[in-house]
Amino acid sequence: MAVLTRSACRFSTLPGEKSTIYALSSGKGKSGVAVLRISGPGTSDVLMQLTKKILPPPRLASLRTIYHPTTTEILDRGIVLWFPGPHSFTGEDVAELHVHGGLAVVRSTLDALGSFARTREAQPGEFTKRSFFNGKMDLTEAEGVADLIHAETEAQRRQAYRQMAGSLSRKYAEWRERLLRARAFLEAFIDFGEDEQLDPGVMDEVKTSVQSLHEELKAYLNDHRRGERLRNGVQITIVGEPNVGKSSLLNALCLRPAAIVSPIAGTTRDIVESAFDLGGYPVVFSDTAGLRSTDDLIENEGIRRATARAQTSDLILLVVDSSNLPELPALIDSSPQRPHQSLISQRLSEFGMQISSDQKVHLLFNKIDLLPPDALNSLREKFPSDCHFVSCTEDQGMTEFVTGLTDVVKDLCGGASVGEANLTQQRHRQHLQQCSARLDHFWTLLAGEDVVLATHEIQQALRCIGRITGHVYVEEVLEVIFRDFCIGK
Amino acid sequence: MLRHCVRELHSPKKSWTRGTPVRVWYTLRTLRLFASTSISSPVGEHFDVIVIGGGHAGTEAACASSRMGCRTLLLTHKLETIGEMSCNPSFGGIGKGHLMKEIDALDGVCGRICDVSGVQYKVLNRGKGPAVWGYRAQIDRKLYKQNLQKEIFSYPNLTVRAAAVDDLLTKPGSTDNPATVCGGVVTSDGTTYHSKSVVLTAGTFLRAEINIGLEITPAGRIGDGPAVALAETIERAGFAMGRLRTGTPPRLDKRTIDFTKTSVWPGDDPPLAFSFMNERPWLKAEEQMPCHLSSIQGKEVVKIVKDTLHLNRHVKEELTGPRFCPSLESKSLRFGHLAHRIWLEPEGFDSDVIYPNGLSMTMPVEYQMKLLRLVPGLENVEIFRSGYGVFYDFIDPRELKPTLETRRMPNLFFAGQINGTTGYEEAAAQGIIAGINGAAKALSKPPITINRTEGYIGVLIDDLITNGASEPYRMFTARAEYRLTLRPDNADMRLTEKGVTVGCVGQARQDRFRKMKRDLERATELLSSVKLTGSAWKERLHAGSVNISSEEAKTAYKVLNHPDVSIKQLTSALREDIPELYDLAQQPWLADRLKIQATYSAIVKEQRFEISEMRQDESLGLPDDMDYDLVNLNLSDEIRGKLKSTRPSTLAAASRIEGITPDALVRLLRYVRKTPRHVTEAVAFV
Repeated sequence: MAVLTRSACRFSTLPGEKSTIYALSSGKGKSGVAVLRISGPGTSDVLMQLTKKILPPPRLASLRTIYHPTTTEILDRGIVLWFPGPHSFTGEDVAELHVHGGLAVVRSTLDALGSFARTREAQPGEFTKRSFFNGKMDLTEAEGVADLIHAETEAQRRQAYRQMAGSLSRKYAEWRERLLRARAFLEAFIDFGEDEQLDPGVMDEVKTSVQSLHEELKAYLNDHRRGERLRNGVQITIVGEPNVGKSSLLNALCLRPAAIVSPIAGTTRDIVESAFDLGGYPVVFSDTAGLRSTDDLIENEGIRRATARAQTSDLILLVVDSSNLPELPALIDSSPQRPHQSLISQRLSEFGMQISSDQKVHLLFNKIDLLPPDALNSLREKFPSDCHFVSCTEDQGMTEFVTGLTDVVKDLCGGASVGEANLTQQRHRQHLQQCSARLDHFWTLLAGEDVVLATHEIQQALRCIGRITGHVYVEEVLEVIFRDFCIGK
Repeated sequence: MLRHCVRELHSPKKSWTRGTPVRVWYTLRTLRLFASTSISSPVGEHFDVIVIGGGHAGTEAACASSRMGCRTLLLTHKLETIGEMSCNPSFGGIGKGHLMKEIDALDGVCGRICDVSGVQYKVLNRGKGPAVWGYRAQIDRKLYKQNLQKEIFSYPNLTVRAAAVDDLLTKPGSTDNPATVCGGVVTSDGTTYHSKSVVLTAGTFLRAEINIGLEITPAGRIGDGPAVALAETIERAGFAMGRLRTGTPPRLDKRTIDFTKTSVWPGDDPPLAFSFMNERPWLKAEEQMPCHLSSIQGKEVVKIVKDTLHLNRHVKEELTGPRFCPSLESKSLRFGHLAHRIWLEPEGFDSDVIYPNGLSMTMPVEYQMKLLRLVPGLENVEIFRSGYGVFYDFIDPRELKPTLETRRMPNLFFAGQINGTTGYEEAAAQGIIAGINGAAKALSKPPITINRTEGYIGVLIDDLITNGASEPYRMFTARAEYRLTLRPDNADMRLTEKGVTVGCVGQARQDRFRKMKRDLERATELLSSVKLTGSAWKERLHAGSVNISSEEAKTAYKVLNHPDVSIKQLTSALREDIPELYDLAQQPWLADRLKIQATYSAIVKEQRFEISEMRQDESLGLPDDMDYDLVNLNLSDEIRGKLKSTRPSTLAAASRIEGITPDALVRLLRYVRKTPRHVTEAVAFV
């Protein structure tokens, strides 16, 4: 093994010169506790940065708060185990994190582990390989592990890839194809640019194609803020006129008095945030000041903040008081297809709010216990699923509301598919982000005029995509070169 | 061939009566025909290593084996064709130049000979970063042959004889290793030579046929006969063989070319040497000969090609042929609309021959003339010899171990074009490895293997033995995963130490290498010892425009990483503080290498994890006789088939076979043995 020593900048023999790898080692999907394993020379460093504490005593379960190393936000509180090498499964330094099994927690912890410079996700069988290499493994175990890997990895990867929405897998495959072509053109330029008659526009074509790919990739990654939602929670803002029951709604949801609830209009002047888990997904509710015209300076500031918050949230819950709704008779009698839309836009414009097209607005009829049953029934029939009917104080309709809301949140977090597929998608997203970062480097290096260094970044970018769609072989690159260029003597 | 059998039949009992069963040698041929009765007696000379073939693979193999201290015999059809450059009059190029630097790092001969035989030296890809610089030279054919022969005929430990080898001496294996073992050769006149190892470098001569138009002549090269008996011998031993085709262009008469219609391409100033042993090649910049560039394009070309298709056996069969090195015919058919570059390359100082690189063709001669005269500058050209195609047998290189020894017949090594490669440099690279390992085997020493993280030679051999060759294999830089680390400038730092360990590096080179290494390391150390803030650097370097961030303190080595900072600038700025560095950097080679090394240091650092992990996998060896049918391995039929045909020598090699799954690799783990960590010795990789 070789290491680059700082002084002489050359390789010499030093043991343990390896990257640090991590993986979710408990079963995929939602479970009570999830176990994440880390192995390699950087483990102690990773552990200390995650827990912001010195290393726990070896082989003893210790309770620690786990932080994201860069954002320093709290990810979870869980059991941490530290196995200094060689007395560990792999023979290297190993740590285990036992965290809550919710998808959001697992995902954000994996994300945190991936954010270190020298860590990477373990390849299938890699823990086993390392443990074998360090003489830790009874080889009769290898086969059992192989079966496990077979069941869990390759098959799974293929399956996940196959099961991806058709458009998505086509998109990945198409990106790979374009990147492959760009790389092939660069390789042709490097290996044959001097001897052969290459099309003089080769480099321009590479630049154009990488640029358009890069832009698409960035747009895709920014799309719907899905990654951010998974980390920080889906932002839901509760808005409405004063005293329609916004705070009561939040309290009913939280099942604890998180916000001050009182019958006096204008009580909630600042924003009250409450974060919790909805079907495994992180959600942040913001209760805001009731919206009305007023001369009260403090209240106006509250209203301004409420409006601003609503405009940056993923979902706006517009709460109305069913018992005090002037438009109610008109709504019941009206024949337009989606009568609630006019109500929503009317209210929002009254509040002076402008929302973007990817923001969702749901209408929530509160205090339905005060409505005559006929009126309620006819409302239910007329209004589609993005309208909810509850009575916060009487606990009516809350279950249906929460179920409906969970579906919406799932959707916002990247599709209504099962958790496992979501985890896969999260990995895909990480690979795509790395790919995009590589392309950023590509442009910098290309400006520095060393086309070989720039090409290296394209190779690496291609590898990132290859982790989703399957490997890229040199032969494929050569295939493109010889298909598209006339190379010969 | 019947002759040997009869001869051997006459003295069958001798070795029995003398009671020396160990020394019972069969020839392959007798083995088949008279297996139960024929036993030959061991007469003839003994050598440690026999090399068959005097081409670029054979000469490197023979010299390497001799340097290792083995009594070596080189057998070739004709002494006067030793060192013949059968095709283009040039050595090196992009990827190929890398191979030459590596051969030189192992103390090989071709780089040094090129340094005293060139007519023009030019580094290709100057504008694309030093990792892909292609050292290349136009070579005087006559001089190359002369210089190489002079070297070969006086090489210590090396005997050279002219003879055609027809047969191999073999011996049945022992009970614990049942494979038939090779132990020498029999030449066409019946002479027997014994040796501990045999290196076969038959090039394109195995059952070779030359093809012009529809005409086919059995010949290895114009004027040289093919090796038919030897091909049959190899086939009989059970080696998987295939057929490849290649071609060469017509040779033009310089006096009939109008060079004013072409553009002139001069050599480099100053010209750079291939060998780490030489500061510069033998020529001064102004003594070099130019090359000329023309091109060919148009409907007329395509028309001639199409009109002669029915007269062109080679091209008709080439449709599935090589994607590179194609004939002009294939290029025109596939890319008719494009212009094709034609390089007019001189063949030597006193030669009237011009080699038109890019015009390989096999159509009947009269049409070749027609076509040539369409090229600007060649309107009145006359030719010395027409272009032709060659068909030849090659051996499936998946039969080989990474040492280039055959798995089927211990002590027999294959190297060069016989393994399905094309090009002098690819051949020489295999030659030196096979020569070293043939000798190592004879000396019972551990062999040398180079893996993909260590050199292009490793990439070449690994590609061949893992994937085989479906077309002639040519080196490109795109094939090397660690291109930024495997640079021409650091080939010595990557390989020479390894060569010293195995014993193939002579004293003179060892001394020079150690001195260069010491200087390089010292200079690097000195550069890393100075640390200043960005603004201090700007002031020192008088480089206000240079974009060095002001706040962060940086070492001189880091600053050198900057494209606008030269080593001269930097060492001058530090002259008073570190006079030693200034003095060291007065050596041009050192200055160049420091700059390159600094440029790539960041990325090399980034790759080092990947490389060390790959090396670890490379040290997990799979036994040669691994039984993939073992029930408890539990491999699928598909994977078993792939592993059986390739027989990867390491777990890393297995993982590179397409379609091998992670779980299959883990299943293989239990049969893996850890090979000695020779791949991981201290190698300065800068």
